[in-house]
Amino acid sequence: MNKNLQYLLFGGVFGFVLSRVGASDYNLIFRMFTGEDLKLAYVILTAILTAGVAMAVWKRTGMKGRGGTDVTIRKKPLNVRKNILGGAIFGLGWAISGACPGTVLAQVGEGKLLGLATMLGMILGTFFYALVAERQEK
Amino acid sequence: MDILRMLFVEPWPWWLGGIAIGLLVPLLYYFLNTALGVSTGYGNLVKLFLPRSKLKWLNTDTYAKIFNWRFYFIAGMILGGFLSARVSGGAFLSTEMGLFTQQVRWPFAGYAVWFLTGGILLGFGSRVAGGCTSGHSIHGIANLHPSSILSTIFFLLFGTIGVAFIRALLMGGVS
Repeated sequence: MNKNLQYLLFGGVFGFVLSRVGASDYNLIFRMFTGEDLKLAYVILTAILTAGVAMAVWKRTGMKGRGGTDVTIRKKPLNVRKNILGGAIFGLGWAISGACPGTVLAQVGEGKLLGLATMLGMILGTFFYALVAERQEK
Repeated sequence: MDILRMLFVEPWPWWLGGIAIGLLVPLLYYFLNTALGVSTGYGNLVKLFLPRSKLKWLNTDTYAKIFNWRFYFIAGMILGGFLSARVSGGAFLSTEMGLFTQQVRWPFAGYAVWFLTGGILLGFGSRVAGGCTSGHSIHGIANLHPSSILSTIFFLLFGTIGVAFIRALLMGGVS
């Protein structure tokens, strides 16, 4: 199958599942942060656990991709200052919008106009980052 | 028919959603040797609006092509949300956003600015932190990467602080 089509399919499943489980529901995000309804916290924990166990078992059994191809795990570099600063900014954005970069896409697909506002904001925020990165390099 | 109803009409239980999302990590590596992650793809969307931008960051290898895998992944996610809403029967378009639009009485333009602002912080913050809920919190923690654990602690800490302020200042403490 064409690779781009495979990515479209994987994205489709991801967006569908996020929407079905309620991750694109403002109230569930809000109530996770107030502690009133921890459904989405359980979803995230189960996802981490499932992925973690699957990857650990796979590593022990040789870890080859389809057709025996090599698999390389991408590791994000630790940068304490940036991880903390970016994490804090992201957290506030998560609280304000009730969405994260993935769930907002499901919201847009569901037809939520304010989700579209969040998505446009994300594009703008990414552009601002490009501007700041340009200044820092000079 | 019960299973069809459970999958396509009722909201999924937490365990089913969690397992399905978690399995995407090894499956993406198995089929496409790709790390799960969404937020980096927003750079592709910036380039969609500014294809001729000379900004160095937008001309790194990551963004050499606008229509690379990240673009198709994002398009798929929007499509997935669309299908989910269609099979479960919701409105095509909605101007509401749960508790926020119920509790905070603002004109629509005010809501739009609010959510746009949240988006700007998400976009900027995820680039500074190097990832978001999928790339850091799920892919990264599952592989025990320290940067992902640290970032996620601050995602959750400031999400909790932010919601506490929103609830107290904008919603009069109720929810």
